[in-house]
Amino acid sequence: MARESARDFTTKELIATFIARQVRDGERVAVGAGLHVPRAGILLAHLLYCPNVRLYMVMTFTNVLKEPRMEPFYTVTDFRPAKWAEAYVLHDDFQENPRLVSNMFVVGALQIDPYGNSNLIGVGKDYRRLTFRGPGAVGTTSMAHYVDRYYLYVQSHDRRIFVEKCDFVSTVGWGEGGAEGRRRLGLPDNGPLYCITPLCIMDFEPQTKRMRLQSVHPGVTVDDVVQNTGFELIIPEVVPETEPPTAEELRVLRERIDVEGMLRT
Amino acid sequence: MERRSLVLDEQEAASWIRDGMTIAIGGFINSSHPMAIVRQIIRRGVKNLTVVGPASGGLDLDLLIGAGCVRRLVTAYMGGEHYCPVAPMFRAAVERGELDVWECDEGMYYCALRAAAQRLPFTPWKAGIGTSFPEVNPDIKVFSDPITGEPLLAIPAIKPDIAIIYAAHADPYGNVQHIGTGFGDRALWRAADRTIVQVERIIPNEEVRKNPLATSLYGVDAIVRAPYGSHPFAAPGYYIEDAEHLREYVAAATAYAKHGDRGPFEAYLRKYVLDPETHADYLEVIGIKRLISLHEY
Repeated sequence: MARESARDFTTKELIATFIARQVRDGERVAVGAGLHVPRAGILLAHLLYCPNVRLYMVMTFTNVLKEPRMEPFYTVTDFRPAKWAEAYVLHDDFQENPRLVSNMFVVGALQIDPYGNSNLIGVGKDYRRLTFRGPGAVGTTSMAHYVDRYYLYVQSHDRRIFVEKCDFVSTVGWGEGGAEGRRRLGLPDNGPLYCITPLCIMDFEPQTKRMRLQSVHPGVTVDDVVQNTGFELIIPEVVPETEPPTAEELRVLRERIDVEGMLRT
Repeated sequence: MERRSLVLDEQEAASWIRDGMTIAIGGFINSSHPMAIVRQIIRRGVKNLTVVGPASGGLDLDLLIGAGCVRRLVTAYMGGEHYCPVAPMFRAAVERGELDVWECDEGMYYCALRAAAQRLPFTPWKAGIGTSFPEVNPDIKVFSDPITGEPLLAIPAIKPDIAIIYAAHADPYGNVQHIGTGFGDRALWRAADRTIVQVERIIPNEEVRKNPLATSLYGVDAIVRAPYGSHPFAAPGYYIEDAEHLREYVAAATAYAKHGDRGPFEAYLRKYVLDPETHADYLEVIGIKRLISLHEY
């Protein structure tokens, strides 16, 4: 497809576009309410490239291809988007088959280690006396296990998040690393594909499964990433800039999805 | 002979809850919590509860924790989404070592309820191998699958004595109809020994019979009528959450969590929970103008 790149866009819009390019047509995709950027990215993919995506959104199943403009919603329990519902999702169907609601998933974290293992439980050496109690794993442990692909996504990039070793692991990444890292644990090979931050995109080097810098966002240097990461990243010889949104992507994002401009702040 | 009505008021229903019980509370984060009964439990000063929240818990549970009712909590998340990333009284209680958390994720949580419903000692689950869950929650055991030899988690049963659920409608005989999904409420109902359902409206049995497919829970043990009974949380089909009130709560609770100042939380508790004697008194404190402004659209 011909792509005319946009010039003025925010990092959030850039990340939304990156996430949009991860979605495949015909898939089921869970759309979180609280993570505005991944939500916008998934909706962008749907409206532009993936007309047959089936969205698991706010406890409903739906397809919003013909929706001229998405009304904003902020919580996973907001009942108003139910006007789009083609089915209600009973949350307690969870253990019946988590794959029925999504083929891909976005996992947030308080801490992430070099192999993409992540922590939402809390920070501290002693579980009985945490220095910071986190929100808990939500559904990340199970969803990341059952989906085909999952992505780590954090809203800041610093040495408190990117640590040599997580105090606790709530969602397993590539385990102790190595191409056999997950298989040694008796797990399928569906560890995290990318780690997405406000500075860069990172993937996992295939042999060691250590985190590797893949691209930096405009205005960010490789050194910025290195300085803000608490473990040694694999740095390829050439690190490109993250591919910008096209003018069309930006238009759809702004006119039909992010109508309140939350990604422009 | 007459068919027996199961309708109770919130005082009678809350009197079922006694110190040390395991109770389950329905809804999901910012929606559909049986708040008339929750506030009455606090007024009664019930202690040492094991509270099974929804798979993802909200500020209703935070209020119970702050009021000193909870010894142990079973849920996979405690927060208020964009109102607050981590529930403040929960955070304060855990960091001070005053609250036991039965650490799990949503998948494991439903495994525990499913095992209880099926009178099984545990449900096997694969997700969580390679994580800290078996270490931080010693009730969860790693075992070897007798079929393939691969490692699995055994998620033990958690059996609520009573499930307390919020729904839109019920008839007087225990036929309950949710508007919307009902989140994970069915799992709580299936697992619990007894279920109390607090509803917005009691509808005639004839209404239920018009659409039995809409009946989401049947054969429950008590029905409590409490209009605006999920306030300050949302009620599908009736009202959205009261954002202003939730911000007031979060500010009060955060004063304790971040600065150790319990005054604002105590003032909240007095004004909205302890001083109003009934649910109707609570609604008067909130005020009719605020309540009718919370339209769903």
